Amino acid sequence: MRKIWLVAQREFLENVRTKSFWIGILIFPLILTAAIVVPALLEKTRQARPFAVLDRSGWVLEAVQEQVAAGAKRFVLVEPALDAQSAAAEDTLNRRVRDEELFAYFIIGPDPVRSSAGSEYRSKNLTDSDLRDWFGELATNAVQARRLEQEQIDPAIAEWIREPVRFEARKVTGAGETEDVSAQDKLRQWAPLIFVYLLWVAVFTIAQMLLTNTVEEKSNRIIEVLLSSVSPVELMAGKITGIAQTGFAIIASWIIAFFFITKYVPGLLGAPVGLDLTVLTRDPVYLASFVAYFLLGYLLFAAMLVGIGAVCNTLKEAQNLMGPITILLIIPLLAMLPIGRDPNGPLAKVMSFIPPFTPFVMMNRAAGPPELWEYVATTALLLVSIGLALWAAAKVFRIGVLLTGKPPTLREILKWIRAPVGTVAVRKEPR
Amino acid sequence: MEHALTLDRVTKSFGDFRAVDAISLVVPRGTIYGFLGPNGAGKTTTIRMFMSILYPDSGTITVLGDPNPEAVKDRLGYLPEEKGLYKKMKAAELVSYFGRLKGMAAGPANARARELLHRFELGDWADKKCETLSKGMSQKVQILATLIHDPELVILDEPFSGLDPVNVEVVIELILELKRQGRTVIFSTHVMEQAEKLCDAILLIDKGKKILDGPLADVKAGGPRTVIIDYDGDGGVFRGLPRVARVNDSGKHAELTLEDGASTQDLLRQLVDRIAIRRFDTREPSLHEIFVRAVGGKTHA
Repeated sequence: MRKIWLVAQREFLENVRTKSFWIGILIFPLILTAAIVVPALLEKTRQARPFAVLDRSGWVLEAVQEQVAAGAKRFVLVEPALDAQSAAAEDTLNRRVRDEELFAYFIIGPDPVRSSAGSEYRSKNLTDSDLRDWFGELATNAVQARRLEQEQIDPAIAEWIREPVRFEARKVTGAGETEDVSAQDKLRQWAPLIFVYLLWVAVFTIAQMLLTNTVEEKSNRIIEVLLSSVSPVELMAGKITGIAQTGFAIIASWIIAFFFITKYVPGLLGAPVGLDLTVLTRDPVYLASFVAYFLLGYLLFAAMLVGIGAVCNTLKEAQNLMGPITILLIIPLLAMLPIGRDPNGPLAKVMSFIPPFTPFVMMNRAAGPPELWEYVATTALLLVSIGLALWAAAKVFRIGVLLTGKPPTLREILKWIRAPVGTVAVRKEPR
Repeated sequence: MEHALTLDRVTKSFGDFRAVDAISLVVPRGTIYGFLGPNGAGKTTTIRMFMSILYPDSGTITVLGDPNPEAVKDRLGYLPEEKGLYKKMKAAELVSYFGRLKGMAAGPANARARELLHRFELGDWADKKCETLSKGMSQKVQILATLIHDPELVILDEPFSGLDPVNVEVVIELILELKRQGRTVIFSTHVMEQAEKLCDAILLIDKGKKILDGPLADVKAGGPRTVIIDYDGDGGVFRGLPRVARVNDSGKHAELTLEDGASTQDLLRQLVDRIAIRRFDTREPSLHEIFVRAVGGKTHA
């Protein structure tokens, strides 16, 4: 036990000193902060967009003038002093748009009350539709008012006719009652996706750290020196523990960063806090299952990767063997959205029982939530698989770490796992 | 007093390949003991077995009087042939880490690591990362990491391979120092000359089988005496000499084994007109000669 701890401690300290550890710690808060700050800054720094209107109806522009002046400061109406009816006016405005004096201009058709014929929006940039939507809505309102007037329809009646049928979303609670759905609840519904993604990133990075680390130790030829002091199983256990500590340090920093950034950064920017994201970090069920599934998922993949690491002598060999495992890991990521939409559907249920997917899929389904027996059964299955995987990894590790030369084939590895301890040849390539 | 190491009919097979075949030997305490044999003879496998890295299929191993080698692992120091350092660790940290793995407490391990580095002129490198050390320095650090916990039995697998003459001297001096301190040293090598200079006793193995073992003096006394000749001239004269059983000619130096009852006087008479002899000497056979004779001259060390 003491030796396992010593190995773990050394692993942890060595990892903490690497750049990739600090990148791992910092990358998430940086991305999160950027995701909040950048759109806000963009909104502030957007340029004013001058535009012009050729009003061939003769009245629409006048009807909306006041709202245009009072409206968004970003869109500035330029009065071109042109004859709206002439074709030459279009040429002039086209040129001004081309020279970027104007962002865009509108042509209002001769009779918008009857039809939109002749109404156009012209710009070099058609991807940004903010101006078009905004002015379009103002014009529509003016035209619709005129139509109601013409047909002598009471605007209140028109409003009522246009009223859509709204289905209010209500959540059926565990007690079989219904309750209102707030924005918070919607967030809670989708929050598991954030957690699945973080879980995935964490498991993937940390397990890969273990792989790199084992291969390096082997290619450094330090393994045999270590084996004269610790047993292969102690060494493996120590490495897995040490890297797990590193992983926990990283995800703990993420959770803390998530809490503080979502709580304070929007406030610092003066933006209203639309959604209180901190609710996620305060929900003990999510947090606890996140930590638990991180540990379980990590252990399962750690067992696979430490075995791979033990049989490879170079990172390149390891990456080749790593291929199938990467594919295995990507599947739950692909299933993330479908499962999020239908957390208790057949796909979700079946995938929960495939151990390499269990941590991700069960986290994914947290909003469902799955029934208790499903938690118990999938976790039991996962624990059994982890036990088996660690046992197999220990066997591969003890043979593999002393191996030099070409990595073994999968068939050879399976043979090692089945063979009793100590009967498998350790190849030694002549030098 | 119990022996440092006793092997009794120890056998280890890998599949169909018998790497070590019923080897028995005794290493007395306080001696320098050489495991000799060509590459692939089974030296490393034997060592790995009493280091509890591999387990024998049959036979018993007693290390420092304990029939369970695993129990005394912390009293052994092992430097494998394939050895390395953690590149990112500082030299003192690394040496101390290995001490702690052998059961030392953190404080004494740190102090002792620094003391050792100073004694071996690596004091300035104690806080440098291992990746900055030269090959010779790395080798020293590895050896110090093997010795930090004052092991009673030190095992060095091919300690001289890849070293320049200066560092070979450093390692030889270290082995002699260990002996002066009363420790037992086992080292393996395929270079007979080094073993001949250092060892009190040897084990000679080939293809997993013991050829012979025992104190160096006994081993040598058992063989027929040989004639050593240092000469200038054409070494071709040694071919076809009557009553000479075997010739090891190195160009300027030759070792001749005579047939039983052959006279060295006759030999000298035959040679004296044909080459310029600088030295003509009879003595016990060299390990090289013993080895070549034992394995039937088929294997070249």
